[in-house]
Amino acid sequence: MFLALREIRFSKTRYVLIVTIMLLVSFLVLFVTGLANGLGNATSSAVRNMPADHFIVQKDSDDRFARSTLHKEQIDEARAVAGTQGAEPMGVQMTTVTKKDSDSKIDIALFGVQADGWIVPKTVEGKGLTAAGKGQVLADRNLADSGAAIGDTIVDTATGMEWTIAGYTENQSYSHMPAVWMNDADWAAYRSELMAARGGEADTSYNTIALRVSGDQVDQLNASLSDASVISKSQAIMAIPGHKAEQSSLLMMIAFLYVISAFVLAVFFYVITIQKTSQFGILKAIGAKTRYLAGSVVAQILVLSIGSLAVGVALVLVMKAMLPAAMPFSLGGDTVLLSCGLFLVVALVGGLVSVVKVAKTDALDAIGRAGA
Amino acid sequence: MSTWNLNTWKISTKMMPETAKPETAKPETERSVSVTDTHKRTGSSPQSAQAKLVLNGVSHQYGDGESMLTVLDGLSCTVSAGELVAVVGPSGSGKSTFLSIAGALLTPSSGEVQIGGRSLAGLHARELADLRLHEIGFIFQGANLLPYLKVEEQLRFVAKLGRADKQQAARRADELLERLGLTARRRHYPDKLSGGERQRVAVARALMNDPSVILADEPTASLDADRGRDVTRLLAERVKAEGKAGVIVTHDERILPYCDRVLRLENGQLREG
Repeated sequence: MFLALREIRFSKTRYVLIVTIMLLVSFLVLFVTGLANGLGNATSSAVRNMPADHFIVQKDSDDRFARSTLHKEQIDEARAVAGTQGAEPMGVQMTTVTKKDSDSKIDIALFGVQADGWIVPKTVEGKGLTAAGKGQVLADRNLADSGAAIGDTIVDTATGMEWTIAGYTENQSYSHMPAVWMNDADWAAYRSELMAARGGEADTSYNTIALRVSGDQVDQLNASLSDASVISKSQAIMAIPGHKAEQSSLLMMIAFLYVISAFVLAVFFYVITIQKTSQFGILKAIGAKTRYLAGSVVAQILVLSIGSLAVGVALVLVMKAMLPAAMPFSLGGDTVLLSCGLFLVVALVGGLVSVVKVAKTDALDAIGRAGA
Repeated sequence: MSTWNLNTWKISTKMMPETAKPETAKPETERSVSVTDTHKRTGSSPQSAQAKLVLNGVSHQYGDGESMLTVLDGLSCTVSAGELVAVVGPSGSGKSTFLSIAGALLTPSSGEVQIGGRSLAGLHARELADLRLHEIGFIFQGANLLPYLKVEEQLRFVAKLGRADKQQAARRADELLERLGLTARRRHYPDKLSGGERQRVAVARALMNDPSVILADEPTASLDADRGRDVTRLLAERVKAEGKAGVIVTHDERILPYCDRVLRLENGQLREG
């Protein structure tokens, strides 16, 4: 630390420049991470926040709920293995509604479930789902942004069915649409109307079955189910329309930012270390050990990284407070810590080249040479 | 006198009583006298305990097979406490190799090196680094101070490397800066110092950890005549006052008067003269 800090004090400009670069990179890393999380929540929070660990979908549905259709036999098969409590049939349908007496359309994701099942999200305001409450639905709070408040009636544009918003839930979004939860009776009614409107036969089937099962039961289910298979929750999330494309492009950006910061640091410290090779030779000649000198390089990297991370995090938090609510941005404390930790690791990896260079410097270089 | 073989002067220096050594650097005219004195002073009790730097039959070769280059060939020398020795020789005569071996930076192909009474044979790299830190003070060409440390920090840093007590180190640094006339410059960075001042800081740094041996590699190469003499005089003064064994490898004839002996490196051996 003795050398590390004094050198930073002496060459302020040089180190301010590198801190600025690292600060910008770390800011960008945190910002894009927040954006990726926010977008990830917007596409998947309804599924992500479910207390289920697996889902049953129809074979050849590409793991997508909307493409999957499950019938009563499959539900019975699932309950035979997972138990009545372990398997919750669930209908998923994306549709467009209007607020009654209004023309503006709102895209929503409908979830049809048993009103007393464990899959129903927590009600945060108003009333929850009940088996008896016909036409009473539980809506994600984001629906309020579109002007639909508790007690308002929404009309489905495809079937003309009307539902009343009984209460709000939170963080229930599916493919960028607010989720609306209804009981199984309403779902069955909606489903048969929908099929009738499309000209098909009336059908009250579900799209998927949410499971709370063990690994053994998954194997049993895969063996016993006809024309259906068990997928994990993460598979189900990845299959949500738009989720994979958004996340993979953002993740690629984040990964590149880490790689870039590793290289920027590696190049910066390598150039500085090469400039100082003769100094290191002198220091080794007068008895400084490689470990001490390498420790000095690492200490510098840590001081600079932690400094720029601290400012970067502060900037991102300010930014977060200033962003409009509609912007999908989500950055929790644990994500910040994880990103910072990763950034430090990457910075140290970048500094490794310099440490190797320091280790290779020979004390003999000090003899018979002029100038430091 | 230039035909003396190594053993002659080696024995004579070993026999030389410490009290007979000059207390301070001698003016130019007395130099030849002192060498003669050294020659005459024989027969006293041996001072082997005072021999701080001993090289015994040291040979060193570079390369291997047919392209083998012998740089040092059975070189021996002894430098006692309080003695400043100049090593001169043409380029390529092996001065740097001699200094590297004497400074525990290079292990000779054969022969023995003792520093502060301790043989270097069989020491590991870490032990050698520790030995350099505590027993050897280096002064390099062009000072080679760390550009980002202030004068007093240069000294505190080597003390810190040697894990010296902080207060003791501070006292030692104060004393050295005072002796070398650097007290007013203690909070300056090296780039604000003159060449002579920088080299004086290097002298102070070399002395900081109270080593047995001071090795200087062309310390006056980048200084003008006056500054060069200044630095050498101060170095000689400290070597005497603190009882160090001092070795200056140099081209600079003007500083030879401040040295007790001048050894010439020729054909891989050191000869008086």
